[in-house]
Amino acid sequence: MSSIPAFALRRRQFLQAGAACATIGLPGPGWAASDGLAVTLRPGPARVSMVGDAAPATAVWAYNGATPGPALRLPQGTPFRAAVTNGLAETTTVHWHGMRLPNGMDGVPGLTQRPIPPGGRFDYAFTPPDAGTFWYHSHDHSLEQMGRGLAGALVVEEAEPPTVDRDLLWTIQDWRLDPDAQIAPGFNNHMEIAMDGRVGNTVTINGRLPETLHVRAGERIRLRLLNAAIARIMALQFEGHVPVIVALDGQPCAPHTPADGRILLGPAMRADVMLDMQGEPGRRYRVVDAFYDRLAYTLVRIAYDARPPLRAHPLDAPLRLPPNPVPRPDLASAIVHEVRLQGGMMGGGMMMSMGNGGGMMGMGGAAWAINGRSMTGDGSADMPPLFAIERGRSCILDFRNETAWWHPMHLHGHSFQVLDRDGEDVPHDEWGDTVLVRPRERVRVAFVADNPGDWMLHCHVMEHQIGGLMTTLRVG
Amino acid sequence: MTRRDFAMLMAAALPGGVLLRPRAARAAEAIPVTLYKNPSCTCCEGYAQYLDQNGFTVDVRPTNDLAEISRRAGIPSDLEGCHTSFIGDYVVDGHVPVETIRKLLDTKPALAGITLPGMPAGSPGMVGEKTEKFTIYAISRDGTPPRVFDVV
Repeated sequence: MSSIPAFALRRRQFLQAGAACATIGLPGPGWAASDGLAVTLRPGPARVSMVGDAAPATAVWAYNGATPGPALRLPQGTPFRAAVTNGLAETTTVHWHGMRLPNGMDGVPGLTQRPIPPGGRFDYAFTPPDAGTFWYHSHDHSLEQMGRGLAGALVVEEAEPPTVDRDLLWTIQDWRLDPDAQIAPGFNNHMEIAMDGRVGNTVTINGRLPETLHVRAGERIRLRLLNAAIARIMALQFEGHVPVIVALDGQPCAPHTPADGRILLGPAMRADVMLDMQGEPGRRYRVVDAFYDRLAYTLVRIAYDARPPLRAHPLDAPLRLPPNPVPRPDLASAIVHEVRLQGGMMGGGMMMSMGNGGGMMGMGGAAWAINGRSMTGDGSADMPPLFAIERGRSCILDFRNETAWWHPMHLHGHSFQVLDRDGEDVPHDEWGDTVLVRPRERVRVAFVADNPGDWMLHCHVMEHQIGGLMTTLRVG
Repeated sequence: MTRRDFAMLMAAALPGGVLLRPRAARAAEAIPVTLYKNPSCTCCEGYAQYLDQNGFTVDVRPTNDLAEISRRAGIPSDLEGCHTSFIGDYVVDGHVPVETIRKLLDTKPALAGITLPGMPAGSPGMVGEKTEKFTIYAISRDGTPPRVFDVV
């Protein structure tokens, strides 16, 4: 297997070319399809045009000069290799988010590998068992490295994909820009750590301020939504349309429309959505993000061209995706572990108030804790795991959010089934690697602990992670 | 989000913009306040009510850009409160009691503003008992280090 640069994909990542999931593995000399794919990723400083050509280019940290990084598209079940050469002035790693892969390939500094020094190289290799929408991002100094742009999509293709007219990818990022279109300083703000993190002021799709998605009436679009923001939670509404969710975090679910018409996506979460474009030719519709109180905004507009519908009736091809080989947990024999999320502002407990002078009380200075313990920063390998699970055993994680804030909780190395919320069964056979836990909510998820190693479990609001909402589980 | 939205968003991040939600006319002496707060934080609403009941008229604006607004107003990050108000030419950060605000407005010092860091228990708008004196810091216009403005 030889490495090829991925830079050629950059132009194809925009909304329209947006099919964006370009195939990355142009066959090199001596390649056969079964050899799988190899890419080179080089994280380093770059300048990108993000908010329009009239504004100054934005200084970012990027994979291969682009943020998001190249959209990698791989066939399910074939080997993948990524040579990562560090062009940053600090250490880095790459985490393959949602992949059920060997522990040594998980990209957590200190826990699964030594961080890649400046100028150094690390080769990641794994075979993706599951088809779906996944992603990759830095897991070292991750608040700032992700906040400056080190993230990209990783799409694993089904052997037999569903019938659609177009397969689009929206990698959504959120930036806090100053009026010169530069990333504002102030990462690690102590108030934001204890509140909802560094939510930005500029949302991009595939690295640009989105303007218009041009569609034709009658077409069916598979839209892969990836929330690659470090803190922003999104609630997307497609005006005049009925999106059907067919997969969450890459894992197929029963096709369904979201309960209140809003697709709720916390940081790191993905949704594959089928959109039958049943609007009127020539009309425009808005896609609105209405998550934050009184701060709804139009993310992007959908514009129908004037041509008559592509077909008289919506496509009647099935919406359900082929299943992935994820083991189903045995709930009767599962071991149950409580995971209490604690801290933050207005917590009603240790962090109910901050002392005069800005000092925080409790938890040894950390803003957050899991079951009373705070693993901060990028993690520490010497902290013992929260608990160990015998390999092959089914496990229920019983999340109890004792805080006033939302937490997208991410488990590495496994996909879990979302069982219930506040005692009510979650419908549609929903799976994921990141579950959004509402303030004061109890959520239970279950998985088969079949992947040996020490695995991170943390909140994917990056400031919450580095502020203590992080731990590890041991499988083996 | 369009380019125009981006431009407006940037404009909104600056103090002194047009009031988005004009309120009913109040007594002539009510002092207008623009208060920026995290959309999810409730204690800031309590503080806005406290000001409203004490001779001010408050325009509450939820924003995700609070840290940036505060930074651009000159508040050092380690002295930030949990919301940022603009009153006349001054920035008033955090749960500052009205007595201290009136002292600022009456004496008109050459300052950028004042701040009560953090969210001390028992301060206006906050729950809990006041267990300690509050130190309110003066923020200079020229970047010189903050000094104590008031202790209440």
